[in-house]
Amino acid sequence: MKPTDLPPLNRQNALEGVRVIDFTWIVAGPQCTRILGDFGAEVIKIESESNMDYTRGIPPVMGADSPNKSGLFNTLNRNKRSLTLNVMHPRGMEMLKDLISVSDVIVENFSSRVLEKWGLGYEEQKKIRPDIVYCSMSGFGHSGRDRDHVTWGPTAQALSGLTFMSGLPGQESAGWGFSYMDHSGGFYGAIAIQMALLHRNRTGEGQHLDLSQVEAGIGMTGTAVLDYTVNGRAFRRDGMPPGNRSPDRAIAPHNSYRCKGDDRWCVISVTCEEEWQALIRAMNNPEWSTDSKFSDMLSRYKNQNELDKNIESWTTLRTPHEVLEIFQNAGVPAGAVQTPPDRADIDPQLKHRRFLPEIEHAELGTTRVESIPMKMSETPWKLKRPSPLFGEHSPEIYTELLGVEEEELGKFYEEGIA
Amino acid sequence: MTAVKSALSGITVLELCGERGHLMGKLMGDMGARIIKVEPTSGVAERLVGPYKDDDPHHDMSLYFWAHNTSKQSLSVDIESKEGKNILKDIASSADVLIEDFSPGYLPSLGLGFEMLSSLNPGLVMTSLTGFGQDGPYRDYKSSDIVSLAMGGIMHSCGYDDVPNTPPIRPSGDHGNKIASHYGLIGTLSALIHRDFTGKGQYIDASAHEACSSTTEAALPTYLYQEKVVFRQTGRHHGAVPTPKTLCKTSDNKYIIVFQLFNNLNSWLSLVKWMTAEGMAEDLGDERFKEMARHRTRTSEEADYAFEIVRKFVAAHTAEEIYRGAQALKFPWGTVRSPEENLEDPHFAIDRDMFPNIEHSEFGDGVTFRYAGTPYKFSSTPWSATRAPLLGEHTFSILSNDLGYSKAKIDTLLDRGTISVSKGFTCNS
Repeated sequence: MKPTDLPPLNRQNALEGVRVIDFTWIVAGPQCTRILGDFGAEVIKIESESNMDYTRGIPPVMGADSPNKSGLFNTLNRNKRSLTLNVMHPRGMEMLKDLISVSDVIVENFSSRVLEKWGLGYEEQKKIRPDIVYCSMSGFGHSGRDRDHVTWGPTAQALSGLTFMSGLPGQESAGWGFSYMDHSGGFYGAIAIQMALLHRNRTGEGQHLDLSQVEAGIGMTGTAVLDYTVNGRAFRRDGMPPGNRSPDRAIAPHNSYRCKGDDRWCVISVTCEEEWQALIRAMNNPEWSTDSKFSDMLSRYKNQNELDKNIESWTTLRTPHEVLEIFQNAGVPAGAVQTPPDRADIDPQLKHRRFLPEIEHAELGTTRVESIPMKMSETPWKLKRPSPLFGEHSPEIYTELLGVEEEELGKFYEEGIA
Repeated sequence: MTAVKSALSGITVLELCGERGHLMGKLMGDMGARIIKVEPTSGVAERLVGPYKDDDPHHDMSLYFWAHNTSKQSLSVDIESKEGKNILKDIASSADVLIEDFSPGYLPSLGLGFEMLSSLNPGLVMTSLTGFGQDGPYRDYKSSDIVSLAMGGIMHSCGYDDVPNTPPIRPSGDHGNKIASHYGLIGTLSALIHRDFTGKGQYIDASAHEACSSTTEAALPTYLYQEKVVFRQTGRHHGAVPTPKTLCKTSDNKYIIVFQLFNNLNSWLSLVKWMTAEGMAEDLGDERFKEMARHRTRTSEEADYAFEIVRKFVAAHTAEEIYRGAQALKFPWGTVRSPEENLEDPHFAIDRDMFPNIEHSEFGDGVTFRYAGTPYKFSSTPWSATRAPLLGEHTFSILSNDLGYSKAKIDTLLDRGTISVSKGFTCNS
């Protein structure tokens, strides 16, 4: 059913009636389709015995006896249904084409030639479903001399410049401690698909959205690129990257500070005189703060090594959350470097916002998953189902959506089609 | 010639955003929406964030501002004044979207909250992007990029494990703000799709804190399922157990990310062949390593041993040699590039046109600068950007053409300081 077929009054979800064929795996693609599913799109995740989503085996895995016990998989794939379909079998390919004919969006994050090899490039998809929105999420895009290069999140972060931009001056890169570009690549996928759906709503026209994980990263380095193309100044230079300081705004204090406890830290970012005054008042006007070295923003910025030492002598006596409370109550932008237990068990704001709702999973029991981070007045997101068990929804999708008879369905399993 | 189609043509967005939200407007503007950036008469604070063109700290010279404000118009108006409020209401009456990133309660205190604006325009989609959200105990806490990255747990995963006494390191480049903007935009677009079918607008309450908190990959699942806490490791994934170092130094003093050594038998065999040809494979041809590749071994003492030999091989080559050579063998390895180094990469710079020239006629006819370009390629409705607006560049045309204000009325507003116009653009021009 197309969205337009639904009477307006029955619409409770933003993406109601949008059917998504989801060939994505690992993190980037599933992040994209998780967003679509959270907004009410009908996401059909396609896997097969030989091509199971790799994340089903990525830690935390609560037992090697089943492909349904990865916590990471569960949080990335809630609100989706699972269909097993072998595209290498002619009948499987027929089924896929039938599915395309009744779908709105196809998303995949394979390397760049996989769908073409299946004979299902965009031109072929269009013959089956003229207004299809096809989103490919490869590392380097579907054109260009290096289109066959392969990336994982860390590769895209390294090549785009993001890894290099993070670290202490004079040290090797600290980079990102996880696949940020898998998350961000997924965000750009969800942004592009929704923009294309808006265009389709107005014109009836679908299109191919060619995403590159590295390019999405490059797009986030805009300021550094301009500093080079306009001023000829490279980011690769002495004193860069800036650690936790803020050279572009020339503000101080702006840093991380050691707190009480093992490897516990807080951050402070003071942007104006008013916040500075609030900061030193909150610390009971320490003697050092009256030194002329700290009399205005520029002097504080120039003398920030000494400034930071002074502040740290105060923060080391307190826990990160004590610092957070004291400074924030005084009107100073400050934060605790929160650990996962802090966020899951302590943070009263995340609790208040119901950030980690619970849902029952057949093999994992009661689980908590991260919510989509926003409240919407008309179309709030819904946690309708946990991540699907491998092949959980094949029978209903084959029989109800694709009109396969019960008898033939049995054969699908025997012959390795489903 | 037919006009180039845009995905968001016909959509008008009022942007009242600073650093947290300005990326939302840019991304919509680059895809064809009309973005009216409503800013104070002296300009938004981001106009005075460096680096600047020629290091000139002028409100039209900030490269940080340029990068995040392409494809927008600037309407500079004091929305705290009575006339300014009326201007905002007038424009909001016919706009499709309003995005804002003020502290909670600020716009309602001016009589410009969602209830008021929605009563004038029921189809309005309004997105408020704050540090911590519109309700809850931290509602009024102040935020910033580094505060979002700390509180959201991102910093906890980033930093060094082999440089003693170092803190968690904030990934620089405004990513706390960017993550917030990406989610704010995702919600805004979904609301526009809903409006296509119902005609109804809505209010979106998004926060940087939650946005960052849901962008930490395995950090929360590892704790929620196994009660283990991941720790930071230099330049690679956080882990609940230590993993081999992936940053490898090259002969030209760069680094390359080397990982997934044993993820694929064919790739492993080809790598050993390459190293053997250069006499650097040592005993990596042994059966025990093939076994590891067959079983996708992730961590073991043997893996560490093999890694050391590969590390020596990498150190004897330039980053580009290893990057190209390893990619040809299907290893997902990548050079740790500085952002400007991609301007020299033919795949991105030439084949994919990732750094388009954007006109800057304010510096003379034909002056252009190369920008980091589109994050996606749409086959029917391509990305297209124009330079960021000068402060107040469009104040006059918007008041005059969109709202039908007379020249006399505009002059009065100018005299009272309610609005401002960019230098060189006066009411007489």
